[in-house]
Amino acid sequence: MPYLGGEEAQRELRRALSNPHVQADPARYRGAVLRVIRLMAQGADVSGLFPEMVKAGAVPDVVQKKLVSFYVRAQAPRQPQLALLAVNSLRKDCAHPSPAVRGLALRTMCGLRMPGIQEYLQQPLVSGLRDKASYVRRAAVLGCAKMVKMQGDCEVDGALVNELYSLLRDQDPIVVVNCLRALEEILKKEGGVVINKPIAHHLLNRMPDLDQWGQSEVLTFLLRYKPRSEDELFDILNLLDSYLKSSSPSVVMAATKLFLVLAREYPDVQADVLVRVKGPLLSACTSESRELCFTALCHVRQILRSLPGHFSSHYKKFFCSYSEPHYIKCQKMEVLCELVNDENVQQVLEELKGYCTDVSVELAQGAIFAIANIARTYTEQCVGILTELLGLQQEHITSAVVRAFRDLAWLCPQCTDAVCQALPGCEDTIQDSEGKQALVWLLGTHGEKIPNAPYVLEDFVENVRSESFPAVKMELLTALLRLFLARPAECQDTLGRLLYFCIEEEQDMAVRDRGLFYYRLLQAGVEEVRRVLCSPKCDPSLGLLGDQSKQPVNAWALEFNTLATVYGRERWALATAQQPVEPSYSCSPAAGSRSRDTESLVSEGDKEVLEVHPDAPVSEEKELLKAHPDAGSLSLIPDVSLSAEQFERSWLSLDTSCQLCLPWAGPVHADTIQTALRVVHIHTIAMSRAGAQPWKAYLSAQDDSGCLFLTELLLQAAGSELQVSVKQSEAKPEALQSFISALRTVLEAVAGLES
Amino acid sequence: MIGGLFIYNHKGEVLISRVYRDDIGRNAVDAFRVNVIHARQQVRSPVTNIARTSFFHVKRSNIWLAAVTKQNVNAAMVFEFLYKMCDVMTAYFGKISEENIKNNFVLIYELLDEILDFGYPQNSETGALKTFITQQGIKSQTKEEQSQITSQVTGQIGWRREGIKYRRNELFLDVLESVNLLMSPQGQVLSAHVSGRVVMKSYLSGMPECKFGMNDKIVIEKQGKGTADETGKSGKQSIAIDDCTFHQCVRLSKFDSERSISFIPPDGEFELMRYRTTKDIILPFRVIPLVREVGRTKLEVKVVIKSNFKPSLLAQKIEVRIPTPLNTSGVQVICMKGKAKYKASENAIVWKIKRMAGMKESQISAEIELLPTNDKKKWARPPISMNFEVPFAPSGLKVRYLKVFEPKLNYSDHDVIKWVSHALPLLSLQLHSEMSAWPLDAD
Repeated sequence: MPYLGGEEAQRELRRALSNPHVQADPARYRGAVLRVIRLMAQGADVSGLFPEMVKAGAVPDVVQKKLVSFYVRAQAPRQPQLALLAVNSLRKDCAHPSPAVRGLALRTMCGLRMPGIQEYLQQPLVSGLRDKASYVRRAAVLGCAKMVKMQGDCEVDGALVNELYSLLRDQDPIVVVNCLRALEEILKKEGGVVINKPIAHHLLNRMPDLDQWGQSEVLTFLLRYKPRSEDELFDILNLLDSYLKSSSPSVVMAATKLFLVLAREYPDVQADVLVRVKGPLLSACTSESRELCFTALCHVRQILRSLPGHFSSHYKKFFCSYSEPHYIKCQKMEVLCELVNDENVQQVLEELKGYCTDVSVELAQGAIFAIANIARTYTEQCVGILTELLGLQQEHITSAVVRAFRDLAWLCPQCTDAVCQALPGCEDTIQDSEGKQALVWLLGTHGEKIPNAPYVLEDFVENVRSESFPAVKMELLTALLRLFLARPAECQDTLGRLLYFCIEEEQDMAVRDRGLFYYRLLQAGVEEVRRVLCSPKCDPSLGLLGDQSKQPVNAWALEFNTLATVYGRERWALATAQQPVEPSYSCSPAAGSRSRDTESLVSEGDKEVLEVHPDAPVSEEKELLKAHPDAGSLSLIPDVSLSAEQFERSWLSLDTSCQLCLPWAGPVHADTIQTALRVVHIHTIAMSRAGAQPWKAYLSAQDDSGCLFLTELLLQAAGSELQVSVKQSEAKPEALQSFISALRTVLEAVAGLES
Repeated sequence: MIGGLFIYNHKGEVLISRVYRDDIGRNAVDAFRVNVIHARQQVRSPVTNIARTSFFHVKRSNIWLAAVTKQNVNAAMVFEFLYKMCDVMTAYFGKISEENIKNNFVLIYELLDEILDFGYPQNSETGALKTFITQQGIKSQTKEEQSQITSQVTGQIGWRREGIKYRRNELFLDVLESVNLLMSPQGQVLSAHVSGRVVMKSYLSGMPECKFGMNDKIVIEKQGKGTADETGKSGKQSIAIDDCTFHQCVRLSKFDSERSISFIPPDGEFELMRYRTTKDIILPFRVIPLVREVGRTKLEVKVVIKSNFKPSLLAQKIEVRIPTPLNTSGVQVICMKGKAKYKASENAIVWKIKRMAGMKESQISAEIELLPTNDKKKWARPPISMNFEVPFAPSGLKVRYLKVFEPKLNYSDHDVIKWVSHALPLLSLQLHSEMSAWPLDAD
């Protein structure tokens, strides 16, 4: 088979294109051009035909011109010399009587990516901006933006900018919107297009003429305008009122955002707006268009975070229907979790229970975790449902239920008895690592309440050779040792066998080390074991922490209707980390966001410290910290080789760059601090013994440019303030800022955890 | 704004790729294919972030359309734009299928060039686009057409061009409604809503001004204080619309102040309004399923449908679809009315009835033979679904008037031929909560 764009094909096409008979017949001529495009679209190399194609563009036929334009734009970067040929004929087209041709020629010229094109562009663009046909003006306005973008960091032409500002008063609505877009791009460095009072009012008056894209974008641009007085503000809101009920969901959302942002000082207005968009949002949530429905659901969740009861009376709208795709069902379940109240809890649970037996494993487990989530508030009913589900003896269901039970036992101690009664029999069904870990943890921690706990664990030990997950073995070691403390007689033999296996036969080093550690711990005496292992078995306060308190509307108003809401804040921060965020969309790390971040860090961090998991959760925590907007610009390198002497020398030679005090209550847990700091690559050089007064610690860190950060933590007396002083080897205020905020986040997290 | 647009077939081969922005590299095309189209698990989200690039996709039959961007954009707008693009393409070449896209790829590139410039949406109304898109006809444009572009693009009305002429002025109006019904296993209605669309086809000359009236509760109450007692008598004279949205051509200010719907329609087919009602919905049918398990290899299914409207009316083209387990080996069906057939390829019994009067009852019973399987693979137990046409709108919506005024050309309201069909809405009804009467495990 000949290669698609082989020499042969190209030669034949060239012959056809330059054949005068073909050229005389418009239909055949166009046919030939079409074949070239087809070849190009298939990925063949047709660059050799450039001169012939440029010539083909000089015919009166507009269709052919379009085809040639398409070809030229794609090929120009490969052969800049020949592209000049095209420029000439395109400039001629810019003076063509037909506006369609003029517009097309302008677009094509601006789309040529070759050096030096700017000098040819200027004149046609300027005349294009003054063209009488709006079609040409639309192309010319965006052409300006393309040209400036191509120039790179050249000085922006002031006359051009003025011309564009004056075109904001153009008759044609699309020209107006295009001007805004072009100015935004051209003036990016200066912070984008300026919306002053006359422009804002002009745009407001033009709103009814615009199409939905224009309306939605203008509403976004108007975010930048700050009304001078209260009267003006309310006039604007009145004027824009009808857009809250627009037929296009994107306009509705853009209008909602504008209302929320403009009325940031009027909570009543904000609440009123949210009530009024309820209808449009709900109909978007139940619409046929899946993707829009998904977007609307994301926004509903955002709203629910501030107004938990907002959609409670409409809970039935969030019941899943059979044919909906996965992502919608998952979102709906999340929404259902959040709008549960005393009246609807029965129905919601009934509905969620139905999803638990779904064929899709993921969905079924999602539903189970949703019920577990509700269980924090309505414990009894939920535990009943979950226990019932165990009866199905389905592998994935049982596993998810047991995992849910583990978290419940930790958060809501009142349900421990019910959980313990439900457990027997589960061990035969669970196959996956996560589920087994959860079961083993429950058996170890609450073993005294489960009569057959030692025998279940014994079964696990019997089969430990065929156990494929190291994490389960680790969990098994800890659990058995804990149970041994509670019921020594039944466990001693089993524990001995397990320790023997772990130390003598186990291949996995982490498991072996854990085994050795426990072995030596046992040698130190039972009291010592009890001291190390008998940590609290539950922590109800965490449940409350996880239960996010109401977030103020202003904390997310700026993120509404952006991708941050669709992805969720954490994922979005992760996706944009180390990348300067667009100034116009920048989300200021408001007080609300910070407290939320630290909270999630606490719940993660606490479990991690108490259960001494291997590395997995640590990496999660790392991501969380990276996700913190403040930590973004600074990257600390993981390994700093700085000895205590070097540290001391540097410390004495440097001046303090920054000092601050953090509130600190209660005693210091050195290990916790050390672990938490290591996660963000801050290393501990030296630290006083816990309980010493004054308590001191010296920390060091280094960023990727080699700048050292040396820190002293000083706690005068327990229950006072923690004094932090930071010294820096090079004077870099920005890096220092980021370092301090990272440090502060960690310390606050640790402080919150201990208080 | 949108950085690029890609269209893939179901295998992930690129059919169309158009990049508007330099920040979208060539690898973006492959990134989406590898991470989304070829991904093992189900689609996680219609918005995917891969290497700081966001991919928004919609699927039409087995074609994937993806919009790509690096900016923090407004997701609702991108999706709406993709829908619009699908509409425009459908208007030009019919169904969006691989074959149609391949045959029309030049047209598609031409469209993409017009509706997006530098990644910003431009004019996207099908009617207005027709003046720019020049796929058919080789003749160069006449003077008249040129002036059309100028007048169209300078005019205030983006959705209609001037100088449209028809010999017969015709207007079609269809009310299409679908009922979404969630029913508990016990047969209680959990929630029901009607989402309806008013679709118009206008073939009118000049710049006609249209006025559309329906039995909206607020209007009726406003107009007829005297007739209030009359509405009380006959029950359902007016309907309460929960929310409605309109095509861009409808003057919203007038709707807000007077609740009247007046507009200059685009040429050709368009959707005038969408609405949703939740109150007083007339459910035309009741479906009662009964399932009995006879041993491990046999199921007995009985489904009763009851028509729930005036005996003088007729429902037509009724089709009931009863899903069967995957391990069905054979089915015997007996039905009182219509024809029923087991379709093995669709795993369902399809029961068709040509017409059925109101207040009647009909039933089907089937014996389903099952193959004994050890396979633990579960059956999804899809809901029973039903399609039919009835000569009334379940929401109760009625068209009261549809008037046309054209001040410049002299044709009046009487000369327009109007086809109003709120007579035959297509309905689909879905029973929720599956058929819980099915045994929980099909094994």
